[in-house]
Order: sequence, then C-alpha cells, then structure tokens
Amino acid sequence: MNKTPAARLHLSLQADQLGAFFPLLQKGVEVEAHVGCTLDTLLSQQWGIAPEYAAERITTIFLDSRPVDSLATAVIRADSVLALSGAMPGLVGATMRRGGYYAAMREGISYRDTAANASDRIAPVRVKLFNLLLPELGAGFLQRGITLSASELALFISGRSDSFWQGCRSALLDDIPLVPPSSLRTKPFPTDSTIRLSVTFSSP
Amino acid sequence: MDKIARIDMGAAGGPKVTVGDLGVYAGLGGRAMTSLVVAAEVHPLAHPLGAENKLVISPGMLSGTTGSMTGRLSVGCKSPLTGTIKESNAGGQAAQVLARLGYAAVILEGKPEGDDLYKIVINKDGIHVTVDNSLKLMDNYPLIEKLRKEYGDKVAYMSIGSAGERKLLAASIACTDPELRPTRHCGRGGVGAVMGAKRVKAIIIDDAGCKMRPPKDPDAYRDANRKFVEGLRKHPVTGEGLPAYGTNVLTNVLNEAGGYPSYNFKGGQFAGSNNLSGETQAALEIERGGTATHGCHRGCVIQCSGVYNDKDGHYLTKQPEYETVWSHGGHCGIDDLDTVAHLDFLDDNIGVDTIEMGVTIGVAMDAGIIEFGDKAGAIRLVEEVQKGTPLGRVLGSGAAITGKVFGVERVPVVKDQALPAYDPRAVQGIGVTYATTTQGADHTAGYAIATNILKVGGDVDPLKTEGQIELSRNLQIATAAIDSTGMCLFIAFAIMDQPETFQALLDMLGSFHGITMTGDDVVALGKKVLSAERDFNTRAGFTKHHDRLPRFFYNEPIAPHNQTFMMKDEELDEVFNW
Repeated sequence: MNKTPAARLHLSLQADQLGAFFPLLQKGVEVEAHVGCTLDTLLSQQWGIAPEYAAERITTIFLDSRPVDSLATAVIRADSVLALSGAMPGLVGATMRRGGYYAAMREGISYRDTAANASDRIAPVRVKLFNLLLPELGAGFLQRGITLSASELALFISGRSDSFWQGCRSALLDDIPLVPPSSLRTKPFPTDSTIRLSVTFSSP
Repeated sequence: MDKIARIDMGAAGGPKVTVGDLGVYAGLGGRAMTSLVVAAEVHPLAHPLGAENKLVISPGMLSGTTGSMTGRLSVGCKSPLTGTIKESNAGGQAAQVLARLGYAAVILEGKPEGDDLYKIVINKDGIHVTVDNSLKLMDNYPLIEKLRKEYGDKVAYMSIGSAGERKLLAASIACTDPELRPTRHCGRGGVGAVMGAKRVKAIIIDDAGCKMRPPKDPDAYRDANRKFVEGLRKHPVTGEGLPAYGTNVLTNVLNEAGGYPSYNFKGGQFAGSNNLSGETQAALEIERGGTATHGCHRGCVIQCSGVYNDKDGHYLTKQPEYETVWSHGGHCGIDDLDTVAHLDFLDDNIGVDTIEMGVTIGVAMDAGIIEFGDKAGAIRLVEEVQKGTPLGRVLGSGAAITGKVFGVERVPVVKDQALPAYDPRAVQGIGVTYATTTQGADHTAGYAIATNILKVGGDVDPLKTEGQIELSRNLQIATAAIDSTGMCLFIAFAIMDQPETFQALLDMLGSFHGITMTGDDVVALGKKVLSAERDFNTRAGFTKHHDRLPRFFYNEPIAPHNQTFMMKDEELDEVFNW
C-alpha cells in the first residue's frame, strides 16, 4: 500500500468487539513506525510494550519471515513484515522460539542482519499478531491506528453483524460523525485508496 | 497391569483367548511394550497382513491411574504401509479402561479363515470373542451408535471403519472419546488394516467393577501429580495456547516461517493460511456453539481439542488438528475450514489417517486427477475411498502407492509414509528425524522436547548446525520413553521449560512403581525401545539408504527462503550411533 490515506476513520467500540479485528490483525496490518532501529527499541519505546512482557509473552518473532533470536540486534526497516507470537506447541514451535534451545534446527532460515543501510525515518511496517497476543496487544495497535486498503476495509465492514454495530458507540469519518455508525456499510471509498483506521474500546 | 491377553484369531475351532503373566515384558507399557513384543515375536519378513503379524495394544505405564495426561494408547505391529515396525498412539478412553482391567497388553495373533467378522468384549469377567457379521463394512460413527445400543455408554470402544476392513494401507484404529465419538485415532502406518486382516471389527472395553490402579506410594503419587498439573497449568503453551487454540495454532507461525508446505510441497507458504488458522478456527467453533477447549480423555488438563459444528450448529467433527488442517488445507490449496472439517469427519468415519489421506489427495492433485483448490473434488475423492472403488482403494493405500499409480515424481514420503506439516527444507532439524525415524516420516517421533533437561547423550551445543544430528537423536530417545508412559506428548513443553515439572513426572513414575526414577532411567528406556525397533527394521531389510528424504527435497529450493535440504547422508547415518 504505502500511500497517503484518503480518509481517517475512527470507531468507538465496546471492548467485547475486539475479536472482530482478529482476522485483520493475524493477516497483517500496516502501521507507521520510526524505522532503522532495533526491535527492542521499536517494541518498548515506540509501541510501549514493556521489556518484561516482550521477554515473557512475545516468545516467537518473525522479521520478513525469518525467526528472530535477539531483539537487540534485529533491525526494523521500511516495509518490513513483523509477526509477533506467543510460545508455540510442537517441536517446530519450540524451534521457532526466540533464542530457544532448538533454534539450531531452523538455523538456515534464522534472521541474520546488521544495522547497515537501515535508514532512520518514519515509514510503513506490516505487523501481524498471532494467538495469545491478539487479545493482549490488538487493542493497542488499533488505538494507535492502522492503514487498510479500501477493499480490506470494505470487506471488514461488510462482514460485521448487527451485534457489532450495536456495540459501536460512534464512527467518525474525517472527524465527522456518521449516524448511525452502520451507515458505513453504504459509504463508498475509492477502490485504490487507503484509509487510516483507529479504534478505541471501552467497557460496556 | 499384571497380565497379557493373547487372542489367536486363527485358532482351530475359532478364536482362542489365553491370559498369562507379564514374563519378560514386566514393567513395560505403551510403545515399549508394543515395540519389544513385535521385535521379539513377529518375523521381520512376515507379510503385515498375514497370520504371522501381531497387533499389540498396550496402555501406557501410568494409564488407568489418577494421574493426569496418562491416557495414551499404543498400538504396534509390522506396518503394511512402511514395512517397518510401527507404533501408533491415540488418546480417547481406551487406555484408561484397559489398564484398569489389568491388561498391560492385548495381542491379536493369527488370522481366521473365512469371511466372518468378529467383535471382542473385554470386561472384568474375561475376554469374549464373537462373530457379528451385522457390522460388516459399517463406518465408525454408525458402528459406534449401533454398539452403544448393545453395550451402553460406560465403556470404551476401539474400532475400524470400512477402510480397515478393506485392508487399505492408510487405515486407522479409532478410539472413542469421553462423549463416545470415534474421534481419536491410532492413525499412522495402516494399523487399521492389520486389525482388519485379523477380521476384528470392534473391541468393547468395559471396566465396570474395576478401580483405579493403586500406586505403591499413594501420598507421594498424589503430591507428584499435583505438582505436575500445576506445572502444566502455569506454562503458556499447555496452560494457555493449546487450550485456547489447539494444535492448529501452528498454522500462522509455520506459514510465517516459510515452513508450511503448500500445493504438495511446491511452496513454503499459503496465501489462504489465515482462513485456516487455529485462531480463526477457535472463533468459528465458539460462534457456532461448539467449543475450542476439550479433552480427548478424562484426566486431561491441557484440553487441546474442541468441537466443530456446521453452519447450522450441529456437530460435524472434533476440532481438526494442525496436521489435518494442513494436509487437507494448504497442502491441497484449500483454504476453507468447513471443507477441512468435512474431510476430517470422513477420515474418522471411514477410518483413515488424516495426514496420509490429505497428503495423498495433494499427490492426486499433482497428478491432475482434480485441480488444487477443488474443495468438492477433494471430498469426492475421499468418498471414493469410502465406497471402495478401484480409485478409492488406490487413494486409501496412501501417497506412495498413489504416486506410483499415477506417475507423480514429487511424492513426500519416507519409508512410504507421508510427511507431516513441516517442510524439512525450512526446518532442517526435523528433516533429520523424518529421514531416520524407525517409523517412516513422523513428526512425533522426535517430539519430546526435554532433551536439555534429560541431557540425553551428554551436553550438545544446539547453536551449531552439526548439533542437529545429536538433537534429533536425543529427541527420538526421549520421545520413545515418553510414548511408553502413556503420557500425552504435549507435556513436553512444560517439562522442557520447568525442571520442577519434569521432576514431578519422574516422581509420578517412581512413586507409582515404588522405585526411584531418574533421567538416566528414562534415557535407558528410550534407547532400549529404539534399539529394538532399529534391529527389527534391519532384519526386515531396511538399510541406511532408506533413511533419506525424497530427492526433490535436495533438488528443489522452496520459497520464501529458497533452501534445499542440506544434511549430508553421512550425517544422517550418525543419528543412531550411540
């Protein structure tokens, strides 16, 4: 995608609607990030994820499809794909674990990189969240904002049931309220455009 | 478990039951029992479907106790699929019930003349074998429904579907789960065909009047089990990930790693993986009124299974596991969970291994019989197996046979058994196990990821590539031992990361049998099992040249990492050098 969003959409939802975004988040969404830094800087300083949480819960990380062993040396670049996962079952799940005992078994695909030629700038990054991290980190990414293509957004909106819209307290399109929020279903977006979506969640 | 039952199905005048003491097999259970019996008693050149082969059914060393996770049942024989020794295990209720009846093993021997079909009832009064031709060619779900009317709901059933009766090489043996559904299968290696060859359709196991097996030291056993359960519950894999998403939680991760074989191992990723993931599957199951958290046997605290309902909220099948979702999904270019679930039901009903069946359909797609991604076509092909048509018999005999019949070069098998859902070009270490295991390609053969605690074979530097040979060896040793306990292999995560949980497992084994159990004892048991299996295979004609992956893994790089399998033959030959 990597183009200026044509519109900004903000949804205010009940917390129990978070699961509706899990398919999007596991497939991957575009976010803006300050690239050229290490993953531990990205996670902790830009995304506010505590190092202790990262150490205990984000035990499996892929950067451009390569399993990462060290957050301190892996460098995020423009248009990188970063996938975050909890601990995985199975022998192969164990081999994918960060710095795990069985990492040698996937040595050929492990992430190997240096900071050389990693430019320091704001750029899009594609983030994927898997399994236990969906409910734990999903809301934070949605609150900070994600970029979707018009077709992705249209697919997401068309797939929402009435209960989703009942749990939607407000929808703002370029700061203008949509009443009712479900009127988004008939809102056309240019087919090749992108939309910046942010979501806040509150208790019912 | 102080006795072994031998049922000579070919005895003059009809099947003959002999119950004896354990003899040289004292103290064994699970895979240790099945493999040592087969290695000692089956002629290595016997025809797997002939009278000389034996089908050994054995609960684990801790099955039938109050211990958690102890419900795995091992079935062993000479495999008609691979020609090697075979141990295939499953959850369900059978192991617990059989163990409480006191049987360390039930061994089916011989082969009856004629076409009669038998059922075997095992209860506290003994073992009764009777002819029941009304069961002929029934598939597992209707079969169990019929048997329940006669034997009720407080028993465990083992059975074969039509595939087993037809002696198809992918045939499985079903074990019923707590809801008496035939969903847990000894799937690999065609063990169902061996049961079919002995003309045994069903085994009804009734432990009415029996008690839990008593430990030698009840207090110590109870305490060890409590610590063991605590360890499982606090670990993120066994306490959170598996209960929430099941094994299919691996789809997204393997796909991201480029180790998810797609389109019959032509790619390492699949565009539709999100539609098949454990996360998507769990949400769908809950939305339809099923469940994503369910145990395959009583006493399971991990609860990695589930119930998959159809669009109308009616039961369709149990939660398909990762390997099933892969084999019928991405491997075949299919990204629809309802199709996969339907195929999972058909596999369970007919009684075939879901890995072998799915991989075979992918090979058939490569042959041009149907197109990749053809959902209706995939269902139609499995229904051919159910009908027993000539095409169905070919497909039901597995990927290797199907590849030969249709002239397919890319056939992902080792020793004629289909590879599971992890591409060995991306994860080279598992390729070592696929190639060298005594069982044919099998991801669970080197699964007990506790070698760092066991220190099997001494310390290994896992950060060196050369260490992969040692790792595979040690994993296979540890797995052979765990497979003998009756413990579910998924305990491996907690015992790998938490030494106190591993100690609790040792204490369970020790306090139950009144001995002191150490890691060295576990290693010795694993080596003993593997040595017997290797020896059997050698006598059956297998050499180091069979311990190889198909050539396309060496010749065809796989995206996205564009890697081939790079382990050298001489390195593979070192795996069993201890």
